[in-house]
Amino acid sequence: MSVLPVEGNVQLPRTSRLFTGTVIARFTGRRVVRSGIGWGLVFGLYVATQALAYSTSYKTIAARRLLMREFGSNVGISAIVGPALRIDTVPGFTAWKCLTVLAITGAVWGILTSTKLTRGEEDAGRWELLLTGNATRRGSAVQALGAFGAGLCALLITTAAISIVVGHSSKVRISASGAIYFAIAIVAAAAIFLTLGALCGQLSSTRRQAAGVASALLGASYALRMVADSGPSLAWLRWATPLGWVEEMKPLTTPNPFALIPILVTVVVFGAMTVYLAGRRDIGSSVLPDRSSSKPRLHFLNGPLGLELRLTRSTLLAWAASIIAYGLILGSIAKSGGKIITSSPSLRLVFARLGATGAQAYLGFAILIMAVAFSFVASGMISAARSEESSGQLDSLLARPLSRVSWLGGRILQAVGTLVIGGIFVGLSTWVGAASDHAGVSFSSMLGAGLNTLPPALLLLGLGAMVFGLVPRWAVAFTYAILVWSLLVEITGGIVNVNHWILDTSDFHQMTPAPSMPIDWTTNGVMIALGVVTASIGVAAFRRRDLKGE
Amino acid sequence: MPIAAIETFALSKQFGDTRALQNLDFQVDAGEVVGCLGPNGAGKTTLIRLLLGLIVPTSGRAQIFGLDTQRNTVEAHRRLAYVASEAGLWPTLTGAETLHLLGQVQGQVDVAYRDVLIERFDLDVSKKVRALSKGNRQKIILVAAMMTRADLLILDEPTSGLDPLMEQAFRLCMSEAMERGQSVLLSSHILSEVEALCNRIAILRTGVLVEMGTMAEMRHLSALTVEATFDGDVPDVTGVPGVSMVTVQGPVLRCQVRGPVEPLVNVLANSGVRELLSREPSLEELFLSHYGAATNEEDSVSTAG
Repeated sequence: MSVLPVEGNVQLPRTSRLFTGTVIARFTGRRVVRSGIGWGLVFGLYVATQALAYSTSYKTIAARRLLMREFGSNVGISAIVGPALRIDTVPGFTAWKCLTVLAITGAVWGILTSTKLTRGEEDAGRWELLLTGNATRRGSAVQALGAFGAGLCALLITTAAISIVVGHSSKVRISASGAIYFAIAIVAAAAIFLTLGALCGQLSSTRRQAAGVASALLGASYALRMVADSGPSLAWLRWATPLGWVEEMKPLTTPNPFALIPILVTVVVFGAMTVYLAGRRDIGSSVLPDRSSSKPRLHFLNGPLGLELRLTRSTLLAWAASIIAYGLILGSIAKSGGKIITSSPSLRLVFARLGATGAQAYLGFAILIMAVAFSFVASGMISAARSEESSGQLDSLLARPLSRVSWLGGRILQAVGTLVIGGIFVGLSTWVGAASDHAGVSFSSMLGAGLNTLPPALLLLGLGAMVFGLVPRWAVAFTYAILVWSLLVEITGGIVNVNHWILDTSDFHQMTPAPSMPIDWTTNGVMIALGVVTASIGVAAFRRRDLKGE
Repeated sequence: MPIAAIETFALSKQFGDTRALQNLDFQVDAGEVVGCLGPNGAGKTTLIRLLLGLIVPTSGRAQIFGLDTQRNTVEAHRRLAYVASEAGLWPTLTGAETLHLLGQVQGQVDVAYRDVLIERFDLDVSKKVRALSKGNRQKIILVAAMMTRADLLILDEPTSGLDPLMEQAFRLCMSEAMERGQSVLLSSHILSEVEALCNRIAILRTGVLVEMGTMAEMRHLSALTVEATFDGDVPDVTGVPGVSMVTVQGPVLRCQVRGPVEPLVNVLANSGVRELLSREPSLEELFLSHYGAATNEEDSVSTAG
């Protein structure tokens, strides 16, 4: 038997002692900076493509004025992407096309990143390991926030750098200071929701709950901004929502730096609250009343499907509420939104030939965004199934008399059912909204339009299930990769000429904008059939594979 | 002859390059309690996950009461109950809700016995799983398995995280199961637990079944580790009957004794011993003395997959 080294002989390298106080900052910082640079590249390239595409598509002043006339005062458009200020100029157009889209993307990034890197790491027990050193809970929250600050700087610098370079182009002409201010406006939403995510992480008891609460607040913020932008009399409401503050910054048109004040105050207050709350609670626990015991509520708990319903019921209700709210708002502004189409002679002709009114034409395009939302739901369901497996919860079910086919098949059918109900809700609420405004849209056409947004999500669900069956550890990354890729293709494909083979790889590219155009049942049928086939492959593969941990 | 509760035929499992289990032929008869011993990474969990059909064998096959674990998984699972070494439960459900759910999925619960078990394990079922300690979570899955009164219990280190009082409660459950004629496969790395409960013992090491037999046949395994500290010179005990694995470190002597301890005690008593400690050797120490040192590489075979 060998003699173990005596304690006094063991010498740790000095550096490891020096840095233990910042281990969370470094651990978190490395990941958030990397991700910030990556998204900064996406943001910058998006700004660049928009600016360059505008300068080549609308060369003459006359063309730009026409665009301004058509879109400039359209309520339907401004409700969705924000008001179009000075879109007869390259900077104005760029700001309009980029600000809301990138602000929301940044906000989602912020929520996912901060809840994952704080609450998620804590849930996984990794912070507990790190915290056994000499860091306090409050100190670790400060460290995480510092790391987020570094990540935001990375996002800001990358976005600003690309914007400055593009601004230099003779076709674009955006000043360096203008580009920097623009980048600040874009990143502002990410900053708010990054700190909000950290705050929710302190309040909630799981990462899922934290992300859910923060996402609900983002949804409310967007809905409020939608209302604020749907009429001049409601414009003051913009000051009530973070996304409204971002809009009030008015980069590249009539900058209003005062809008930065509520943004900065919010970030500082959220940050301070995060640090304060972190010191007030135990690791692994939450601040919000989280009843650790309760009377048993046994309804639903009769099998895996009931269990899933039970676990996701609050998320599902929140989703249903936001889908209905979106549909109602969309429907109620459809008539004014449709004016854009009726005011353009060429577009009017096209739609008249199809027998669509302005409102229908507007809804046809506005409702497509629900396809993206439903695809996120589908991805979420794949990721939930995978985490049930990797956490060992699935072992607890499948070690009992429950077949794998019925578990996975049931989960898929349940997801399909949820999506179909969502599609019906979209159609129904949009119809109610439109009918309240006498927009002249039929119930059946809106129901069809709602269901028409489902095939991409169903295909994604099938593809995700297939990879889950074949290579479970890739399933989540794969599903989200398809989703992000499709979004990127759609976004860039709308601006620059992209080869149709590439466009066809987008999950969303085959959709028709019902009700402005008839639903393409053949294409929808093919997508659904592909979904069924891939899902079946997934189930068959899942039958014959090892259950795998993380 | 009745059908065996568990029977494996050249069962093998390979994860990448690591052979987690090799050509295992092994049997647990109906009504028999078999202990499965081995250090971490020996393949115990791999064996159990194969028996449950949670992972697929690379070659060979296994049967539960004659039912193939891959083809008749659901039917096989109706006859068994499983306790994992780490409970994969749902943090937001309470204990009562978890037991209800798992009972529903199992489809067979002795409600009266369940209540006895909850009482015996002193389990507060109104608490959410999230708020429970590891030991209390372990109690939930123990109760969930025992309350089914299944013909076969497959237990993977079931007492990990339990305090000694609860280990007693567990042993009581086990003796009740034995009285009812239930079969048990108990995987453990605690020798005394297996010694106290099992009719037969299987010993796994780096994926290979190295020994299998009754406790009496395994008697040579039980040994005592003795640690003695001396005021003066440390005596030489290498020649003393039953003594092995002698190491000396300053005034401290460590060794293992098998059989009667008297010869060793006599030597120590005459040499000015100041302190004397003795304990049951850890499984690792036993394995070291019996089967030689395994290389580290072999020891760290992944079982979870």
